Amino acid sequence: MGDNNNVNLPPGFRFYPTDEELVVHFLQRKANLLPCHPDVIPDLELYPYDPWELHGRALAEGKQWYYYSRRTQNRVTSNGHWMPMGMEEPVITSSSNKRVGMKKYYVFHVGEAPDAGNTTNWIMQEYRLLDSASSSRSSRRRSQPKPDHSKWVICRVYERDNDDDDDDGDGTELSCLDEVFLSLDDLDEISLPN
Amino acid sequence: MSISVNGQSQVPPGFRFHPTEEELLQYYLRKKVSYEKIDLDVIRDVDLNKLEPWDIQEKCKIGTTPQNDWYFFSHKDKKYPTGTRTNRATAAGFWKATGRDKVIYSNGKRIGMRKTLVFYKGRAPHGQKSDWIMHEYRLDDNTTSDTNIVSNVMGDGGQEEGWVVCRIFKKKNHLKTLDSPLGSGEGRRSHSHLFDSCDEGALEQILQQMGRGCKEESSYEGNYNNNSNSNSNSNNSMNYGRLVSGSDPSMVHALEVGSGGGGLTNWAALDRLVASQLNGQTEASRQLACFNDPTIGYCTTDHDLQLPTLRSSSTPSSTSAHARLHAPPASYINPTQDFTSEIDLWNFTRSTSSLLASSEPLCHVSNTSV
Repeated sequence: MGDNNNVNLPPGFRFYPTDEELVVHFLQRKANLLPCHPDVIPDLELYPYDPWELHGRALAEGKQWYYYSRRTQNRVTSNGHWMPMGMEEPVITSSSNKRVGMKKYYVFHVGEAPDAGNTTNWIMQEYRLLDSASSSRSSRRRSQPKPDHSKWVICRVYERDNDDDDDDGDGTELSCLDEVFLSLDDLDEISLPN
Repeated sequence: MSISVNGQSQVPPGFRFHPTEEELLQYYLRKKVSYEKIDLDVIRDVDLNKLEPWDIQEKCKIGTTPQNDWYFFSHKDKKYPTGTRTNRATAAGFWKATGRDKVIYSNGKRIGMRKTLVFYKGRAPHGQKSDWIMHEYRLDDNTTSDTNIVSNVMGDGGQEEGWVVCRIFKKKNHLKTLDSPLGSGEGRRSHSHLFDSCDEGALEQILQQMGRGCKEESSYEGNYNNNSNSNSNSNNSMNYGRLVSGSDPSMVHALEVGSGGGGLTNWAALDRLVASQLNGQTEASRQLACFNDPTIGYCTTDHDLQLPTLRSSSTPSSTSAHARLHAPPASYINPTQDFTSEIDLWNFTRSTSSLLASSEPLCHVSNTSV
């Protein structure tokens, strides 16, 4: 646990879940006490790990760390606390446009709350399921006790770089240069070497 | 297509085939050209002449997870028996190369090249450009022949023949459409998205393209390679983006018009490009304007932040910019049409980008609020 070595995939496969996958596959299954395959995301409960202590404990992929935790009002760590950034977004399924969860942003502060002077670049996205009251899903499972949707969250932590705009080396996007060349191509007679 | 992993019928949820360019070349393509078995049939063979992009999308699915890009091997064949050009026409259209090939490095060593192509519907030269983009990766000739001596029966056509590995994707219109698999800080990323993958060599490439008509490319090949190598990870990269795709659309237009008519040798257009960008920028460019005006020395500027930043920066390009400050400013002024000024202009743009890089945190504080 703590890395995805137990998933035996060829080179090039990486844990890049969509928000929907995090909520529907990992969070809902966890809340419903169903097994997750692969079981790659460790449960760190409410251990007070500082973000820089996550490596080796949480699932690491690139510069991001994933772990299960519990909902809490004050996410306090050994050396600081996570402050809500006041941003919350719904997580929506791509197939049916249904709202399945919420995603909330936190920033890590070193020191005691509410000292705002020691903001760091560490960001957390906390995924939670919708509260049971608003979840139409739970009503379908009458025979089972209602899962405690309010309990579990998935945390995705990463360090925001001030100058990180170089990490898109995968080339899945056109560079600005390519864009320029594309527009140059409209003039056609510019025949670039094939 | 679905692949089998440990008895499961598909890629586990949350996992995506998201190879680096290095993995594509060093692992997949290298195995392909040397006929080694690849563990899973992740990348299929595609006859580029038989499949349209939207068919490839269907054929090259990996598992059932949503994909933004699709991968395949393709065997390049000559268009004509006597020529060296590749035939990339399909029933509905054709792939056309654009820009200049990008060098792919592995551990600082050059391993291959990437070509960018655009799909046009219809027939050349009257095709209609689509949003489909292809990156075609090939291994360097010497590296493939080294490893393939035993089993290689590849043609001798060099880069125009043999196996390549390709990625196709649909060009996004500067908006994140799909839920980004990269995830981190979507808000900020989509904002700076435009600059994300700007090649460090952007302006050099434009310079080279424009100069192609009258200059031997090899004369500054060294500069370009060197540059893209050493700076590919520096934070300068986004500044070329600002320079190239800045807010002034007329600039790009000027470049188009200028280069279109003059067979890509119109340096006045490029001068306008640089000048308009410099004048358009705040802070940094005002300072830069001093380079252009011999009557104002660099020292007259009192932006106390930028010079120290410049000095304290350790990137090679910033250092060179710093050194440039003490050089005679004459070389920056009025690049004329001859060869030497071309080099000067090249240096100039590098200096420019360095200065912009220094001021970047100032100008874009708002970008970082996620």
